[in-house]
Amino acid sequence: MTPVEYLAAALVIGGVFFGFVATVGLLRLPDLYSRLHAASKSDTLGSVLAIAGTAAALGLTTESMKMLFLVLFLFLTSPTAAHAIARAGKEQEVDPVGEEAAWRDEDGGEAR
Amino acid sequence: MSERDASGPETADTAADADGRLTRPAEDRPPYVESTIIMTTVRVIAPFVLTLGVFVMFHGASSAGGGFQGGVIAATTVVMLGFAFGIEPIAARLRNYHLAGLVLSGLGAFLLVGFGGYLLGGTFLQVPAYEALVHHGSKYSIEVVEIGIGVIVAGVITGLFFLLGTGVDTAREATEPGSEDG
Repeated sequence: MTPVEYLAAALVIGGVFFGFVATVGLLRLPDLYSRLHAASKSDTLGSVLAIAGTAAALGLTTESMKMLFLVLFLFLTSPTAAHAIARAGKEQEVDPVGEEAAWRDEDGGEAR
Repeated sequence: MSERDASGPETADTAADADGRLTRPAEDRPPYVESTIIMTTVRVIAPFVLTLGVFVMFHGASSAGGGFQGGVIAATTVVMLGFAFGIEPIAARLRNYHLAGLVLSGLGAFLLVGFGGYLLGGTFLQVPAYEALVHHGSKYSIEVVEIGIGVIVAGVITGLFFLLGTGVDTAREATEPGSEDG
């Protein structure tokens, strides 16, 4: 194996690891916000690492350029989607587990 | 942090709802809270998404993709705009006949290519007959069919999204005269 292939393998393995972390977090964490935290952060990193590994394995080709664009747009859209979901959850008054609706009191109870 | 009184992009005042809009008047809408992050991202992403949709539509004849997928991707642009700027302010800019015209023009393009095969001495959708008319005629006619399908899909998805997203009581509007399309 060439050094580039080692790099690609390391990136893909890292991506698989973070994808696994995201899945465990999604299944094990208690409420919407913490699950969103696990899913958005580590799943973004996991898929970006996996795509970067694929791009490294492909070398300098048209396909790897497409992969780079994919990485760019994933970094733009995935956190925004998580932000939108969290906002929608707050709008619909989804309560986090633990401190009972502590964050809603500082809003002045003006929900809806 | 959240500006609840932000009214979104200013739209023309919807005086009457008999002109085929899927929206309520501006004062009847539920309050919509804008998010700078979502709006900025959608502003940056939307042209790329629309370009990708058109690309997939055009590319469908020769590789992976096609009219259905490209149409859905193109309609995603409208869905994203709805999420960022509020569904009803976006829907207020679209009349029903815009969407109906989109869908019908796609259907018309498909039928034109389809029955054009008869005119050129073939059968329905016999695209190789177009080779006699234009160089690479079969390729171009398939592209026209793909774009027609894409336009149909984009129009239908957009209409369904607005129907579901605005929550307008269409049963009430159906009883009113002059709103026959949907």
